[in-house]
Amino acid sequence: MGDPSVYTPVTKTAKAPVLAGVVGFFENPQSLMEATKKLREANYQSFDAFSPFPIHGLEKAQGLKRSALPFVTMGAGLTGFMCAVLLQGWTSVVSWPLNVGGKPYWSWPAFVPIFFELTVLFAGLATVAGMLIVNGLPNLNKRAFDNNITRDRFALMIDAPKLKTAEELGDMDDDEILKYRTRLAKFKAFEESEAKSFLTNLGAIDVKAVEQRGWFE
Amino acid sequence: MAQGHTDNHSTEIKNPGSWKLESSTRGIFIGMAVVGIVGLVASIILSPVRGWSALLMNHFFFMSLALGGLFITSIQYVTNAMWSAPVRRIAESFSAYLPVVLVGFLIICLGIPHLFSWSHSEIVQGDPVLEHKASYLNVTFFVIRNLVAIAVWFLLGRKLVGNSVAQDADGNPVYTLRNRVLSGAFIVLFALTYTMSSIDLLMSLDPHWFSTMFGVYAFAGLFTSSLALLTIFTIVLLRKGLLKGIVNDNHLHDLGKFMFAFTIFWAYIAFSQYMLIWYANLPEETMYFMHRFDGGWKGITIFLLLGKFLVPFFALLPREAKRDAGRLMKVAIWILFAQWIDLIWIIQPEFFKDGPKIGFPEVAGLLAFGGIFCLMVTRFLGTHNIVAIKDPKLAESVLHHHQ
Repeated sequence: MGDPSVYTPVTKTAKAPVLAGVVGFFENPQSLMEATKKLREANYQSFDAFSPFPIHGLEKAQGLKRSALPFVTMGAGLTGFMCAVLLQGWTSVVSWPLNVGGKPYWSWPAFVPIFFELTVLFAGLATVAGMLIVNGLPNLNKRAFDNNITRDRFALMIDAPKLKTAEELGDMDDDEILKYRTRLAKFKAFEESEAKSFLTNLGAIDVKAVEQRGWFE
Repeated sequence: MAQGHTDNHSTEIKNPGSWKLESSTRGIFIGMAVVGIVGLVASIILSPVRGWSALLMNHFFFMSLALGGLFITSIQYVTNAMWSAPVRRIAESFSAYLPVVLVGFLIICLGIPHLFSWSHSEIVQGDPVLEHKASYLNVTFFVIRNLVAIAVWFLLGRKLVGNSVAQDADGNPVYTLRNRVLSGAFIVLFALTYTMSSIDLLMSLDPHWFSTMFGVYAFAGLFTSSLALLTIFTIVLLRKGLLKGIVNDNHLHDLGKFMFAFTIFWAYIAFSQYMLIWYANLPEETMYFMHRFDGGWKGITIFLLLGKFLVPFFALLPREAKRDAGRLMKVAIWILFAQWIDLIWIIQPEFFKDGPKIGFPEVAGLLAFGGIFCLMVTRFLGTHNIVAIKDPKLAESVLHHHQ
């Protein structure tokens, strides 16, 4: 075989891998749904469900609250409407009045299409922007743990909570430490092997640990 | 894998069977019809123009609801819709009224001299516009083309609903495939015939006027009002406990979204028709709106802006409103009422320039046609399953929406 040192892989000097969480894969949307309900009852601090297509009621099973996005849409729509009123009112009545076919300067029927268009434009763009902000996208610090969750796999991920290191705890005063501990105590404690067996018991066909990895790592 | 799951659950859907109406409710419908018919006949004898216009208005209102039921059904078939499977049969039941549309039209033929000024040769002669239109607006052609339209609706409707009902027995998916083709044909023919019917029965009341958007305006009213009626029937059957485990909040939510969307559609069409005429400012087009912006009609015009658009728009805007049967029911009844007022606004200014006349003849017409409509539809629902129980999409819809 020759010199074994030839086969020694080159070791990168990467930082120590951080555990992001534990992922369990499920066979179909229904088993994912059942498992999600049970996982929610287990009261881990944080978990998420993954599916290649929207599953009605999954957000309810996860216990997600309704997004505030509709109010962003409403507010932006009204702003767009007001902008259209001011823009057309100011240009055609105040700044540069023009007699068009003997019609009044404030000919609102002619302005309605613009009222509508600016309402929709503002509402639409604000909804997209708001959606990205609410979802924290784009997130360069996270990378898909398995490309197949966009194709034919269904998954649940129990996130590893970000625990404070001994050093960080050392910097905190007693009150802060107490607050931190009581918050942690509200949830089921996360432990890798326990989380793995929990997912297996929920019916996951495959379970694995996932490390924190960004887009460019 | 979704298929396997569907199969597991198809056995769980219990067939609610048909809706056996209490004899007291049927008595109310019969009473409505009898009182209405007597009242309408009396109105026509005492005040012919008022009576005939009330008859025409209510005929068109319920004809549109019956056709709207068929149109909703066709849309579900051509789009291969899943969500609507549990409520589609209720929409189909509206078409049970179609034979009465023929009777209604034949009665209207007796009133042509009172309703349509183009039927009088002394009015047409010497009027270049009417003389030019006479090759289309004459009694013989009017009767023939409307009878053809009614025949098309009746025959296609019977075939479409017949296929759906036949599927209840054996669950053969071939009926769904046949109806998909049939629905495509119906939608095309419906667009042509309903446009024609609305031009004939409503727009030709003022034979000088024309609007290239009138057909789609009438269609917008048809669609919102039939969706409202479908919602009302669904909620009534839900409250009777007949749709338990089949229709839930998610289906109501879908119906609410549909009503909301077509409330906006009506406003869009109504405004487009108005804006084009306002912009061009041609006397032969603007007079339609001049009649309706003056005197007693101004209030009704404002009512339509509020009642047919702003009120249902804001009432249906919150998510909770579309998922709450009580609120949805109120909005649906309101939409039907606004559509009825819209038909008064379309028809009456041609006869009563001073203002709207809403009184005994109009209500009698509503009772007469409404009573018969309820009798025909409940008779259909009493002799057929109220849910297309073997529809291939039913299990998926009940399950997919059941969270």
